[in-house]
Amino acid sequence: MAEGHPHPKSLPHEEGGTSPPSNSSPLTGGGRDPEMGGAHPARWDNLARGLYRFRSNRLSMLGLLMLLFILFVAVFAPWIAPFPEDASGSTNVLERLQAPSEKHFFGTDKIGRDIFSRVVMGTGLALQVGTVIILLATTIGVTIGAISGYAGGWLDDLLMRITDIFLTVPALVLAIAISAALGKGIINAMIGISLVWWPGFARLTRSLVLSLREEPFVEAAYGIGAGHARIIFRHILPNAVSPIIIKMTTDFGFAVLTAAALGFIGLGAQPPTPEWGAMINDGRRYFPDEWWIATFPGLAIWLMVFSWNLIGDGLRDVLDPRSRR
Amino acid sequence: MNIRFYILRRVALIIPTLIGLSILTFAIARIVPGDPVGLAAGPRATEEIKEALRREFGLDQPLPVQYVDYISGLFQGDWGQSLYTRREVLGDLRTFWPATLELTTAAVIIATLLGVPAGVISAMYRNRLPDHVARVLSLFFVSFPSFWLAMIFQTWFARDLGWFPIGKRLPVLVAPPPATTGLFLVDSLVQLDFETFAVSLRHLFIPALVLSFGAFASITRITRASMVEALEKDFVRMERAIGIPYRVIIFKYVLRNALIATITVISLNFGWLMAGAILIETIFDWPGLGLYAVHASLSLDFQPIMGIAVLYGIVFSVVNILTDIVYGILDPRIRYG
Repeated sequence: MAEGHPHPKSLPHEEGGTSPPSNSSPLTGGGRDPEMGGAHPARWDNLARGLYRFRSNRLSMLGLLMLLFILFVAVFAPWIAPFPEDASGSTNVLERLQAPSEKHFFGTDKIGRDIFSRVVMGTGLALQVGTVIILLATTIGVTIGAISGYAGGWLDDLLMRITDIFLTVPALVLAIAISAALGKGIINAMIGISLVWWPGFARLTRSLVLSLREEPFVEAAYGIGAGHARIIFRHILPNAVSPIIIKMTTDFGFAVLTAAALGFIGLGAQPPTPEWGAMINDGRRYFPDEWWIATFPGLAIWLMVFSWNLIGDGLRDVLDPRSRR
Repeated sequence: MNIRFYILRRVALIIPTLIGLSILTFAIARIVPGDPVGLAAGPRATEEIKEALRREFGLDQPLPVQYVDYISGLFQGDWGQSLYTRREVLGDLRTFWPATLELTTAAVIIATLLGVPAGVISAMYRNRLPDHVARVLSLFFVSFPSFWLAMIFQTWFARDLGWFPIGKRLPVLVAPPPATTGLFLVDSLVQLDFETFAVSLRHLFIPALVLSFGAFASITRITRASMVEALEKDFVRMERAIGIPYRVIIFKYVLRNALIATITVISLNFGWLMAGAILIETIFDWPGLGLYAVHASLSLDFQPIMGIAVLYGIVFSVVNILTDIVYGILDPRIRYG
C-alpha cells in the first residue's frame, strides 16, 4: 500500500463488509487447491454445507423467493399484463388518470396507459439493466484489480491512481456526467453507470490477489512453469471468487437503484420505455392527487432492491462467516 | 514521522488526484456527441452566431490548448462560465454549495445517531431478536429509492399532517441570516437568532431524514461487526472479571475500539450522501448543488458539471484526511507514516 494510510484503512475495503479469505477456515476456502483430487470432493462438501447455511437463513430465503417471483413476472410479463401494448407507446386518452380499479389494478397515467401493465413489462428491463451493469463493472474491475495486484510495481501504482480518481467523486455524480455526455437513453445510462462502478471491484480484487499471490500453491504453479495468465485465471482468481460474488449480489440492487435515479432525473430511459425511475418522474407532477402513477413503480423498485439485499446479506454469512458471528 | 508532516503530505497528494480528475471530467465533457453550442444558441441561430459562441468559449482551439486553459484557470479561481446563464461557475458553486453541505451533514449526523446505537444493540443481543429486527429494518429502508420516499414523506408529514414545511430552506418571507458560512443553522446561531434557527431546522429535518436512510444500513452493519470483534478481546473478559458493569465496558471501552472502522464507513457515506442529495434536492426544491447539477446535465452545460465534479473531489479528499486525523485521536496506537 504505497499510500501511507494508517493501517486500519485496510479494514473495510469497500462498503464495509467482505474480508479477504486470507486465512479462511476449511469451511469456506472452497478447496485451497483447485487442481487437486479430480472430482473436488471437498468443494462439493463445502457447497452442500453452504447451501444448508443459506437455506437455514429465513430472511435470505425470503429474498430468494421474492427474486423468483420477480423473475417469473419478467418472463411471463406479456401474459400477465392485461394491456402489454401500453408499454410501447399506445395511448388511451379516454381513460386517463383513473384511480386503481378492477380494470386497472394500479390505475392509469396522464395518457391513459395502464400502470400495472407498464410496471410488469418494466420488470425484465430492470433485471437486464442490473445484469449488464454488474457484468461490465465486474469484468473491468476484476481485470484491472488482478493485473494491479499480481504485477505490483509501477503498473500497480498507475492503475490504482486511476482507480483513486474515480473513487474521489461519488459514483452518481460521474454517472450523471457520463450519461449526459453520451446522450439520454437507457443504453448510455447503463454504460455510464458501469464506467463508474468498476473501481470497487478493482480495489476488492487487488486486495484478494495481493494476499493470494504469496500462497505456496502459486509458487508451485510458477515452479512447474505455468505462465502468468494461467496462474491468475486458474490458480488465483478461483480462490477469490466468494467475496467478488458477494459484492456482485449486494451491488445488483444498488445498480438498479442508480439506473432508476438516472431515469428519474430524465437522463436514463426515454418515453415510452416502461422504466420504473422514469415512470416515477412522470407521476411526480400528479402526486399526491393521482398518487398511483408514481407510487407503484417505486414499490416495484423497492421490491427488487430489497430482494437482492436480503440475498446478498445471506450470501455474506455463507461465504464469509467472519463477517457475522 | 510527526503528524503535521503527515497531513502536509496527504494534502500534497490530493493535487495529482485532482489533476487526474480534471483530465477525466474534461475528457467526458469533450466526448459529447451532442452539440452543446447548438443547444445553447437556440434552434434559429445561424452558423455565424454558433461560431462566435465557440470562439467566445474557446471551443475552436485545439483540445490540449483548451485543457491547459482550463486547468490553469482552475488554480486561479476561474472555473469557467455556464454556456446558458453566462454566470461564473465558481460563484454559482459558492452560492449553492452551503445548502448541500448543510443537508448532507445533517443526514450523516442522523444516520450516525440511528446507526451506531442500532449496531451496538445488535452486537449486544447478537443473533437474538433485537439483532434481527435491526438488520431487517436497515435493509428495508436502504432499499427504497430515496427520491420516491422523499415524495411520500413530503406528502405525509408536510402536506397532510402539516408538521413540517413542504420544501425550500426557509419560508419566502423570512430573510436568510447574514451569510458567514452559508449554513443557515450556524449563521442564525451566530446571530443568536433562535427563531430563524428553529424555522430552518424544521425545513431541514425531513429532507435530511430521507437522505440518511441511505447510510443507515452500512453504519449499522460495520458497527455491529467491529463491536462483535472487540467484545471477544481479552480486555473485556478481564474487565468483567474485576467487576466493571457491563454497560460501562460496552460504552467506555468496547465502543471506542469499534469506532475506528465505523468512522471509515461514516466518512465514505458522507461522499455517497452528498451525491444522493442531488436526488433529494429536486424533490424538496432545496437550492443546492443537486438542482444545479440536474439542470446543467439536462442541457449539456458542461462547465458547471466539471466544476461540481472537481468540488466533490476536493471535499471527498479533505473528508478522508480529516478521518485519518480522527483515527489518531481515537486510537493512540496508530502511527502516521
